[in-house]
Amino acid sequence: MGLRRGRVLVRSLLLLALLSLTVGLAGCSGAPGSGSTETTGGGQTSGGTVTVLAAASLTDAFKELTTTFEEQNPNAKVSTSFGASSALLAQIQQGAPADVFASADEAKMNTAVQDSLVNTPQIFARNRPVVIVPKSNPADIHELRDLAKPGSKLVLEQDGVPIAEYSKQILNKANSQYGADFEQQVMNNVVSREADVRASANRVALGDADATFVYITDVTPDIADQVEVIEIPKDLNVIATYPIATLKQATNPELAQKWVDLVLSDEGQGVLEKYGFERSA
Amino acid sequence: MKRRWAPRDRLGSWNVVASALAVGALALLAGFIAVPLLSLIVWTVDKQAWQAMVSPVATHALLLSAKTTAVSMVTLIVVGTPAAYILARGGFRGKRMLNTLMDIPVVLPPSAAGIALLLVFGRMGILGEQLQLLGISLTFTTAAVVLAELFVATPFYVRQAVTGFSKVDREIEEAAMVDGGSRADTFFRITLPLASPALVAGAITAWARALGEFGATIIFAGNFPGITQTVPLAIYSALESNFDAAVALSVLVLGFAFTIILAVRYLTRKITEYQD
Repeated sequence: MGLRRGRVLVRSLLLLALLSLTVGLAGCSGAPGSGSTETTGGGQTSGGTVTVLAAASLTDAFKELTTTFEEQNPNAKVSTSFGASSALLAQIQQGAPADVFASADEAKMNTAVQDSLVNTPQIFARNRPVVIVPKSNPADIHELRDLAKPGSKLVLEQDGVPIAEYSKQILNKANSQYGADFEQQVMNNVVSREADVRASANRVALGDADATFVYITDVTPDIADQVEVIEIPKDLNVIATYPIATLKQATNPELAQKWVDLVLSDEGQGVLEKYGFERSA
Repeated sequence: MKRRWAPRDRLGSWNVVASALAVGALALLAGFIAVPLLSLIVWTVDKQAWQAMVSPVATHALLLSAKTTAVSMVTLIVVGTPAAYILARGGFRGKRMLNTLMDIPVVLPPSAAGIALLLVFGRMGILGEQLQLLGISLTFTTAAVVLAELFVATPFYVRQAVTGFSKVDREIEEAAMVDGGSRADTFFRITLPLASPALVAGAITAWARALGEFGATIIFAGNFPGITQTVPLAIYSALESNFDAAVALSVLVLGFAFTIILAVRYLTRKITEYQD
């Protein structure tokens, strides 16, 4: 009895292994930014895949451009990976197979240039930092100055994430108007350092955080009805600059250049504008 | 499959092939686990990353991890032990369902657990909204780290404890009660000592799981040095800014893991020897 049951178990174990292998192979679509960049699906197409590593704030605009790109290049596939520009830079430094890098600040791109990881970058968009608070606004924040209110729960991205760096520049500038320790008071209210700008935005949209800095483009239709946007006074704000470049190690330099061209083209700029970015020129 | 019924001489050669395959499989697995672990140590030695172990980020994270896991373990043992006893001994409807429920956190991705906790204890959560009225807000606090650790670690303790209690012979307990011992007396003097190897092993694996907790913590508790940034979160945060520190912390955790495993092995052997 026991032996027979054992054999049945062995057979189901083999079946399980086979099943997971099949599912695994079917699902292995060359993870963007980490795995191999082999063509997915049928594999018959000759165009190949272009892997784009892009700042989290570009998520919606680049997703639309992916569709445009694949329509224009029927044999090509675009594989996008969004995250904090600092995280993407670290991936590139560790040799992640990718073709294009689009950063939310020039600092990360400059590092990539210095490390000879990318070809000459070009500025393709600008973006405006804003403060967002939940619709219910539990901490009663109505202007930049209010971020210093004791007990407010602010979230900020991790050090190195572009929006966090811009935020610190803004707070530093504001010291001259709101008092020398304004920046310190605001930083004292920070309760969590998030992975990227979209993670912070969601903290506020869910109502767990009282405020955070995001780009105006991060107030997507998804969260627009859950948050309130507070503009930062023009003289204190720092406009974000987005450079894009092809990677020196690009597996598909031709397609990589085509992607950059699309982003810089009138059509690409139009799409970016639609999502709230400002034109590069 | 057919080879099983092959004539004797062919069976002999098949045996050799099978053994070689098994040995190869073992070597492959051992290498697969050992090489990455060794490379952590090699990197640390090579880059002289030792001093990163005592950097403020590392010490804060270690201290926080020690503190939170200690609290969650005490809570888990106090609450989990009687609960496991009932699950093992009690005869009531829904017991199987409860047993299954206790197992779910093991297979649930921790990130899903984090979102679930957020939906309950977050400011907009079912309980969070009530707590908010009392002036209590859990997200972004050390208490939230403990809750996340408890959520993912509970099954590891409870499951072991249930098995341990079920293996205690009922007749011994009954004999003790016939001899005039109260129910509680019997539990503490007979049942608990007999089940203790399982309890200790369960507690240690649960502790290890709590120590490694990442997904639920970063989603539910957030990530802030000294408050919610435990060792796994510190490793993740350091990855971009200070790779050496990330590796050094990993080596430190590796050391912990090694010690834990040795301790479990030693304890269980001691206890079984003692009982024999």
